[in-house]
Parts: sequence; C-alpha cells; structure tokens
Amino acid sequence: MKHFSEEELIAYQLHESSDEGPISRHLESCSECADLSESIAETLRVFSADPVPQPDLEHNWQRLRGNLGALTPERSRGFNLLRWGWAWPATGLAAAALMLLTVFGLYLHRSGQTRHNVAVNGHGPLTIEPADPAIANHLDAAERLLTEVNNSSGTLDDTTRAQAHNLLLQNAVYVRNARDSGDLAGAAVLENFGRVLTTLDNEPPTPHSTLRLRLEMNTSGLLLDIRILRQNDDHSQGVSQ
Amino acid sequence: MDKAETEAIRDVLAGDRDAYRVLMDRHFCSVTRVAFRITGNEADAEEAAQEAFLRAYNKLPSFRRDSTFSTWIMRITMNTAINLVERRKRDLSYHAPRIADEPSTADHTVRIADGKAGPEDSLLNREAVSLRQAAMAELTPMERTAFTLRHMEDVPMAEIAAALNITSNSAKQAVFRAVSKLRRSLTPIAGGLR
Repeated sequence: MKHFSEEELIAYQLHESSDEGPISRHLESCSECADLSESIAETLRVFSADPVPQPDLEHNWQRLRGNLGALTPERSRGFNLLRWGWAWPATGLAAAALMLLTVFGLYLHRSGQTRHNVAVNGHGPLTIEPADPAIANHLDAAERLLTEVNNSSGTLDDTTRAQAHNLLLQNAVYVRNARDSGDLAGAAVLENFGRVLTTLDNEPPTPHSTLRLRLEMNTSGLLLDIRILRQNDDHSQGVSQ
Repeated sequence: MDKAETEAIRDVLAGDRDAYRVLMDRHFCSVTRVAFRITGNEADAEEAAQEAFLRAYNKLPSFRRDSTFSTWIMRITMNTAINLVERRKRDLSYHAPRIADEPSTADHTVRIADGKAGPEDSLLNREAVSLRQAAMAELTPMERTAFTLRHMEDVPMAEIAAALNITSNSAKQAVFRAVSKLRRSLTPIAGGLR
C-alpha cells in the first residue's frame, strides 16, 4: 500500500492538493495516514485565527499625516531627456574619463601594485555575530533578496540595500560555520552569495547595476543553490526532531 | 481600482496630502490585520502599518497602476512587517511587554486579561497561549507570513507568492514547512498530536 507523505497530507488539509479524491479514499482504509492527517488537522485547529484588534483610524491618520510631505508626479523619461539634452556632451566627457580611469586601473593591476580593496575595507565592521544561530532565517532572507534582484528592472530601493548590508555583516559567520561543520558545498554557495552582497553594498546604484549583477554573478543560479540549501537545512532539522 | 481611489492618488500627486486619507480609510484596517498576523502583537502591527503607508506615500509617484492600490500596499506591508520581525530578532535591546498588576505605557507593562474562567482553566489557557506563541516564534518570518495569511486570512497562494515576491511553489513550501514545524512543536502536549 502506498502511503502519503506529511507534505501531501498538509496540502490535503489545506485544500491545496490535486489528489483530494485518492487521498480521501486512502485515509478511509489506512489508519497510519489517517492518524497523521488528523494530527495535521488538529494543529491547524489549534492555530485557528484569533481575533484581531481594531486600530484607531483617527489617531493613526494624525500620526501619519505629520510625516507626509507634498508630492509631485514623477516626470517621464522622455521629457527629462529633452529638457536635459545639453547633458549629452557632459555624459560623453564623463564616459571618456571613465575609460581613462579603466585603462589606468588595468595598468596598475598588471604592474602588480596592491589595490586598496574598497569592498572589504570600505566601511563598518566586517561581520557581526547573528542573534539567531540557525541558518533558516538567513536563507529565507537571502531567497527574498535574490528574488528582488532577479525581478527588479531598475535600481534597488534603500530598504533592500540596507537588507543587503545587514545580510553581508552576518553572512561571513554562516560561511565559517558551514566550513567548520564540513559543509564545503554550503560554504561555497554562501561565499558566492557574499560576493553578490558585497557588490550590492559597495557599488553605487545605477539604472543598469541590478541587470549587470544578474548577468555577471548568475543570481538566478545562486537563488536555486540557496533554495537547495534551504531544503537540505529543513530536512536535517526534520531528522533531528 | 475605483474612481475614488484614482482621484485620491491624482490629488495626492498634485500636492494634496489630505487626499491620502481616502486610501488610508479604505485600507488601513486590512493592512493592520495582515501586519498583526505577521508580527503577532498590536503595537508592532500598527508600527508596520504606519511605516507601510508612509513608504507607499513616498513611492506613490512611481506607482504604475498595473496592479490595484490594495495589492500594492499589501505587498509593501508584508515586506515591512517581515523586516520589523527580523529587526526585532536582531535588536538585543528590544524588550517585550512585561506583565504587571497595573498596566503602564511608560513602563511597557501589560495586564493579562482575567476573564471568567477559574484559576485552573485560566492557567491552562495561559499555558496554551504561551505554547502557541513559542511554536510560532520558531518559524522564520517568511514561513509565519505565508502560513498565517493562507490559514488564518484565507489568502490564495498566488497572492501570497506575489506579495512576498517569490514563486507560488516557494510560498506553498513555506506554508507546508510551517505546518510541519508547528505540528512537531505541539507533539509533547495535549496527547492528541503524534
């Protein structure tokens, strides 16, 4: 007799399963699966919705209103280009200067001079000890950040960049933990994630910086690796319980 | 999006701050409700809702209107509330409200509701509540969000996924993981769970 997994039975109890009929029939004849299914149902009953307190709208509006500045609509890009047409020569000059700097940088690199590493020595502490030693939260946050990177068309907002900074401060500790516990594959994935975070934290945001990051660092592939780590961590937690 | 909301957005963008009240009146309660499910307490829920409305206001010039305002604000709220929960976990100086006979806002103290139950029932209720809270605290913010919205608020999986900016399958997995963890957390009690 083929038994159903816990995940399949959770999906069944939440009415998210595509096999409701077969599962329902199986539960009538298999006491083992029926017990597990009832245990899941009981868990869902225990965590049924508690009442939610009603907020005081007037008080909240007064509090919010004090923080609102007057807004103006965002001007369209076309309008800006026309209005700032004189800026093209300046852009050309800036591009030329950038090329000169690149050539100079390459020259320094080839002549073996040690460069000041802004990414590492830029600002703030290199790591902070995470309050939560479990990696699950870190991987969840990593997944959300990479999804944001993979789906953003322009620059990332300040909150996301602040998140990247916080994750960067903690990531090195998780890399070390993974290495110490012999999980070299996990450490390698987290190290790659660290490179993405370092870039996000140090490079100035430009309209194409997120796209460049996606292409250069293969953030889609990294997201898949992070999900696999997340799943492995979940399984190991399940085994230990 | 209906006419009143479209007009309110237009007026806000023209510099009329008070027009934002229309959007707040319509959505603040549902936003606070979702924030409460994610943060688990009233004070943080209001803080997250306030922050979400402020962020939405400041981003309003870039609101593209390819989704409704309610979907957009809900997405901002979920992210804001998740960030707040993560911040609370990080912030070692944060202290939860303490229990006192006389509640005081200044001292961050609260009083546990007495109710009509006898001392034994009351004790059991408190134990059950604290066990439930402890079990929920074991979930990651994403698992907690996905689970509470799916199970308590009956939000479709696709909407949760869109709001959390993850795939539908990831949202499902987060809910399943949450239920599995909660079930294991409750195993030692009640005798009914295996």
